[in-house]
Amino acid sequence: MKSKSLLVSLIVILLLIPLLYENDESRFEKWSKNLLCPVCQGETIYDSPSEYADDMRLVLQDQINNNLSDQDIYNYWVSRFGERIITNPQNKNFEIVIIPLFVSLLFVLYFLNRIKK
Amino acid sequence: MISNSGIILSWICLLNLLFLLLSNNKFQIQLLVRLNLFFNFLLFCLLEIGLFLNDFSISYIANYSATTTPPVYKFASLWGSLDGSILLWNLILALYFLIYLKYYKKSDANVDVKIYTTIVIFFTSYTIFSSSPFAGCIELSSIGCQSSTLIPFQDLLTSSQGRGPNPLLQNHPLMAIHPPILYLGYIGLVLPFVITTSYLFRKDTNSNWVKTAADSTFYPWLFLTAGITLGAAWSYEVLGWGGYWAWDPVENVSFIPWLLATAFLHSSKAQISESTLLNWNYFLGGLMFLSTIFGTFITRSGVLISVHAFSNGNIGVYLLSGLAVFTLFFVYTGSRNIEYFGTSKKLKNFFGRSGFFVANNILLFVSALIIFIGTIYPIFYETLYERQLTIGRSFFDILVGPILLGLVFLMIFSVKLGIKNINFNDWLQNNLLNLNVSLFITIIISLVYRLPYLGIFSIFGGTLLFLSGGINLVTKIRKGAIKGSYWTGQLAHIGIAVFSIGLILNVTQSYSTEYIVKENNSIEFGGKTYKVNKAYDVSRDEKNVINLPITSDTKNKNASLNIFKNSSQQAISSPAIFRNIEFDTYVTIKFIDNENFKLIFRRNYGILIMWIGLALSTMSFIPKIVKNEK
Repeated sequence: MKSKSLLVSLIVILLLIPLLYENDESRFEKWSKNLLCPVCQGETIYDSPSEYADDMRLVLQDQINNNLSDQDIYNYWVSRFGERIITNPQNKNFEIVIIPLFVSLLFVLYFLNRIKK
Repeated sequence: MISNSGIILSWICLLNLLFLLLSNNKFQIQLLVRLNLFFNFLLFCLLEIGLFLNDFSISYIANYSATTTPPVYKFASLWGSLDGSILLWNLILALYFLIYLKYYKKSDANVDVKIYTTIVIFFTSYTIFSSSPFAGCIELSSIGCQSSTLIPFQDLLTSSQGRGPNPLLQNHPLMAIHPPILYLGYIGLVLPFVITTSYLFRKDTNSNWVKTAADSTFYPWLFLTAGITLGAAWSYEVLGWGGYWAWDPVENVSFIPWLLATAFLHSSKAQISESTLLNWNYFLGGLMFLSTIFGTFITRSGVLISVHAFSNGNIGVYLLSGLAVFTLFFVYTGSRNIEYFGTSKKLKNFFGRSGFFVANNILLFVSALIIFIGTIYPIFYETLYERQLTIGRSFFDILVGPILLGLVFLMIFSVKLGIKNINFNDWLQNNLLNLNVSLFITIIISLVYRLPYLGIFSIFGGTLLFLSGGINLVTKIRKGAIKGSYWTGQLAHIGIAVFSIGLILNVTQSYSTEYIVKENNSIEFGGKTYKVNKAYDVSRDEKNVINLPITSDTKNKNASLNIFKNSSQQAISSPAIFRNIEFDTYVTIKFIDNENFKLIFRRNYGILIMWIGLALSTMSFIPKIVKNEK
């Protein structure tokens, strides 16, 4: 067990494993994890046990069965509940990810610069 | 009577603090700090007496307690809402003041006492001038009290019944201990703030201020860890939604001080051993406390639910102005020491001990930064565009998840690090066995659970950390050498290794299904049979409970619906949990329709593993105590 070639081959095997499977998360699962239940406290309709979320899930299931595009589904929910219904707004408003990453990058550069010789 | 006594005693408390602020006599200070603790303890007892006597002439008691509230929750009602919780806050602040004098006050100058006293005055004044749990009721509402007065000796109105605590808060005893433990953590962070600012305000840079500050951070850090863990456990075991962490704002702001305190506990060591990171340590030393006040502001002012809720109470403005004053003082004190900070040594070995502490600090601080931005961004967005925005868990999962995983990989090296740069070839040679064994284990686990890449890296990191830390621990336990801060760290790291394995299993494997079922029928879920027995009602003073016994193998557990009498809120569903080391089967009642029960069956992986890991991390104080006894 103390061999470097064993180490390398194990790493290669490990990295190949996820390629064996397809990502089996359905469109329904993806969407329901990203729609907020408006009457609950910050839960998505995937998590929420409320009846309101049940009804929303039914509508969503219907939309997915009818093969609506992501944009159509997005428009439908946002037009009825406003943007706050979407819990992953970073997919549309990229600044939500870019701002923290940029600030973090600035911090890291400044920090490293200060402590370097 | 209690209302009057409470209000007057608060004034006496303030007067006592003003004396303390002006005092320079050592004996006087010792006495006045003890008196402050005594008065705060009296205030605490007074409100508890009011709660147990059902004194509904006090607005707070009429609104947050009831005659039917069981004793445990009556006791806990004191911190069940904002005004009362400040009483607990002040008591703990007073307790830490005494602890400060006894263990951390190292110099005869009294700047520290004045800083600490100012902070105490700030919070005490709130209960006198703004909002007090002792305020008497002058206008009744249908149940409870509509408006109240802070002026003593008024004619008070007494409602016949109180509203009772929020149902969520009286459903499980864990709720009685989670907030005090968390407070012991948060408020303790005042110690490093007072220590760093008072030393540097006096420009006392010869003494080892950072060591004192770091020592004083450890126990609050421990309480924060335990408090957050208890909160997660309460959320999972009691609330019935099957989760433990939702990245909601309240959780986020409790996590930020923890991240900063964890960073400080590490970076302080770099200063102690290599005189580096002086300014950074000053920054972190104060920021922990400031972030606590900021967190309280965010969650208590209502600013987050909607920006417009700001006008509802004045705690927001009050906390914000306090935050501004403390921050200004902190910045001013820092600016007095620019020269001293200039003497901070540059980092020589990026891959030595201090280098790893720097990497650890970068990752922890960046996590805190991202969580901070993610939490407050919706406020800016609403102000700018007048539209509300939700930043949900996917944002934090994507951005913070990988950073926390990076920390696991850093910890692997913590087992053996010197001041000099680590030689990676030697490290590889020494760790080949551990590496290969953990890769082998990871391959098996990955195949069994069909893990994605993030899962694979987490399992690999967790297993390697557990193996290297665990083997190190076991060999040294035999020699009886488990003491000192090194082992505190190692124990905490091993706990996190276990936790991260449980966490990633939970995140990637869990699933749920809904069933509609009648009594005395069985359900097949995840390869096991669950028999739903006959439901029965239990009626208590404060609530009605519908219990639904469920049997699997020989185990019998109740899923239940709790319907609280004094509340319009919907019923709280308590889960039946069948637990083994690999997964929980978590059953909640969704609703009951005639004879039909709609049940949610969840299979939650890794929960017990996570709890074990967090418990291990919390046990990390043991080596520290062993060292102190020597």
